[in-house]
Amino acid sequence: MNAGLHVEIDRLGTAAHAWVRGLRLHVPAGEILTLMGPSGCGKSSVLAAIAGTLASVSEGLRPLQFEGRVQLNGRDITPLPTHLRGVGLVFQDALLFPHMTVAENLLFAVPAGPPASRQARVQQALQEAGLEGLGERDPSTLSGGQRARVALMRALLAEPQALLLDEPFSRLDAALRAQLRPWVFAHLRERRIPVVLVTHDREDIADAQSVVELGHAG
Amino acid sequence: MKVFGPWLLALIAGLPMVWALWAAASQALDVQAWQALWADPQTLRAWGLGVWTGLASTVLVWLTVARLLANGFIRRQLARYLVHVPALLATPHVAMAIGLVLWLSPSGWVLRLVSPGWTGFDAPPPWLTTQDPWGLGLILALWLKEVPFLVWVAATQMQREDLRRRWQAEHALAQTLGRTPRQAFAQVIWPQLAPRLQWPLLAVLAYGLTVVDMALIIGPATPPTLAVLAWQWLGDADAALQAQGVAAAGLLTLSVALLAAGAVVVLQAGVVLRKVASRGLSLHMTQAPGVVGWGERSRLQANVMGGVIVMAYLAVWWALGVGSVLGVWPFPQVWPTLWTRDAWVQVLGSASTVWTTLGLAVASASVCLLWSVAWFEVASGRWQRALRPVWLLPLVLPSVLWVVGLYGLALQWHLEGQWPGLLLAHALMVLPYVLLALEPAYRAVDPRQAAVVHSLGHGRWTYWWRIKWPLLRRAITSAWAVGFAVSVAQYLPTLYVGAGRYATVTTEAVTHASGGQRSLMSAYAALQMLLPMLAFVGAGWLGRPRQFEKIAPMKDTP
Repeated sequence: MNAGLHVEIDRLGTAAHAWVRGLRLHVPAGEILTLMGPSGCGKSSVLAAIAGTLASVSEGLRPLQFEGRVQLNGRDITPLPTHLRGVGLVFQDALLFPHMTVAENLLFAVPAGPPASRQARVQQALQEAGLEGLGERDPSTLSGGQRARVALMRALLAEPQALLLDEPFSRLDAALRAQLRPWVFAHLRERRIPVVLVTHDREDIADAQSVVELGHAG
Repeated sequence: MKVFGPWLLALIAGLPMVWALWAAASQALDVQAWQALWADPQTLRAWGLGVWTGLASTVLVWLTVARLLANGFIRRQLARYLVHVPALLATPHVAMAIGLVLWLSPSGWVLRLVSPGWTGFDAPPPWLTTQDPWGLGLILALWLKEVPFLVWVAATQMQREDLRRRWQAEHALAQTLGRTPRQAFAQVIWPQLAPRLQWPLLAVLAYGLTVVDMALIIGPATPPTLAVLAWQWLGDADAALQAQGVAAAGLLTLSVALLAAGAVVVLQAGVVLRKVASRGLSLHMTQAPGVVGWGERSRLQANVMGGVIVMAYLAVWWALGVGSVLGVWPFPQVWPTLWTRDAWVQVLGSASTVWTTLGLAVASASVCLLWSVAWFEVASGRWQRALRPVWLLPLVLPSVLWVVGLYGLALQWHLEGQWPGLLLAHALMVLPYVLLALEPAYRAVDPRQAAVVHSLGHGRWTYWWRIKWPLLRRAITSAWAVGFAVSVAQYLPTLYVGAGRYATVTTEAVTHASGGQRSLMSAYAALQMLLPMLAFVGAGWLGRPRQFEKIAPMKDTP
């Protein structure tokens, strides 16, 4: 009953304006919940509240206030800092670190352990992403689709207990999106972790049974 | 840490700054001194000269920069400006003034090149070509120094990835609406850029109005500008004259404040006028203040002005190099009859001078860099916005008033004439430059990057050491070099707070400039220029981006 991601948002917004009120989400392990809504409705803020990154999202503006609770596999993670939550994040931009090679980007995510096994996991991830032999590259020389795949593999290598995707396909063209979606969803389901996908594009919906429309949802 | 950090940092930098301000203000409120200042026959003329040189140089700088930027933007050469301008920036004010004197003085190269053939002179004429009573030499020197500064500030803004893309798109759009490239720049880009240059421009104005070291070398002498006069009075043995000097520094501060307010009004009026006019029909009528005549002629002007500035720097560097090995050099001859290494032997032999310079520069740049990085990391946006004007105060306060405050502080903290006091004085002068050098890079950091790193299970130290600081390496190393250069160039604080006990290459260069020892002043000026240049070269090397194997970018093949 406690497994998976439970999110209760009583109120999320600035002091003057609430973006989201009374939102309840439950995402069991292995399920991909799609959070839909027009841009500016607070979808990304919901992800930031789950990941604990509200401070960085609201940089420059008034800080967003979050009242509610986030539980992951029975653990209340609301008071924890981001790096202890076990929640992975993938943005629409791949945000690969430009001063590291592709392989170093991946290695950065692999938890501490014997160097040989960490390297082996990086090589395996490259293989799964269809990027064998490209590990030593400057990430800026990769194509948009390749970068998106590296970003996802990087997030998964950190062994998150839940993963959040913020419009992960919106920077890619339609043909590429259609090609990438099944690959991403297959990899996500394999991990048996709860996933929240935020999008404004109906085509991106992973599972028609599991969609929440923001603004209409209770 | 989150709660204490900002308080602690604000206290470390704010306490000495406010203390020095207070010490200066309390001394400047001496009624008798103001009466004496008012009664002094030199005051009014000196004040007029100071205002004239400050205003004239600022207006010239503004006009020049507007044209250079228009050219650079339209012809996509701003990136090239950014590569070359730092070499010009690294030339200290004092070195520039001395180099110009070597060319323009009655016994300088300009007259030698045309004598005796065209002029008939066998001896240097008794002209006041460098310390001219109208301050033209000083205006020229200020113009040469401040144009690269403002171009650099503007170009770093315009090259920010987001702005560059947006402005290029808007510029292209304006041209599809029937504007020439130049009109499009004047009507669409410049109105957005000019307000961003307001603060740097005010710093240029304040500097021109209150500069002492440069004016001592190339400024008018009888009477000098008010800043120089104030400095001379401050150095007098007579306590009443010293108080009069403090009052003069106060008058300078008021003048800067008034003129700055005036400049802001002029700039704002331009913005309002443009808004009013653009509500009407004729966008053609609207022009930014100071940017008149955007025809093809202005392109030519920009090329000529850019060329003149670069040539002047080359000439100054050349003059300092050759000047430092001058032996016997009878007047009309272009080349000396005897070369000598004596000046360099003497300069490098004065080890304590060089070590004092290096020690102060390294220490103050490092202290300010550590403080600034800590400030940007720990202080929230609200803290930063609230205290930014305080940290930038040393930029706009006249240095003569500032040193009065610093000296008061040093006296009360028992640091006068001692190394720690000198370091504190230098650090307070260096801090705003280091902050300004770091700020754009810190603002450009994508906050989502931190979110990604934390979501991968890493804490903030890992984020700083492995991601953020490596990515900011270039900005961090060049901010350090900027701090180093600013410290090397300090004249007033070094002399005044050091109570004359510490000599640096800058104080020696100024001293020898008035002593007329041509080769010695050139050698010190050359060293004054070389030290910051070495710092910039070193910073450029340390801050170079990682070189990846060069491979063609890949494309998706759906």
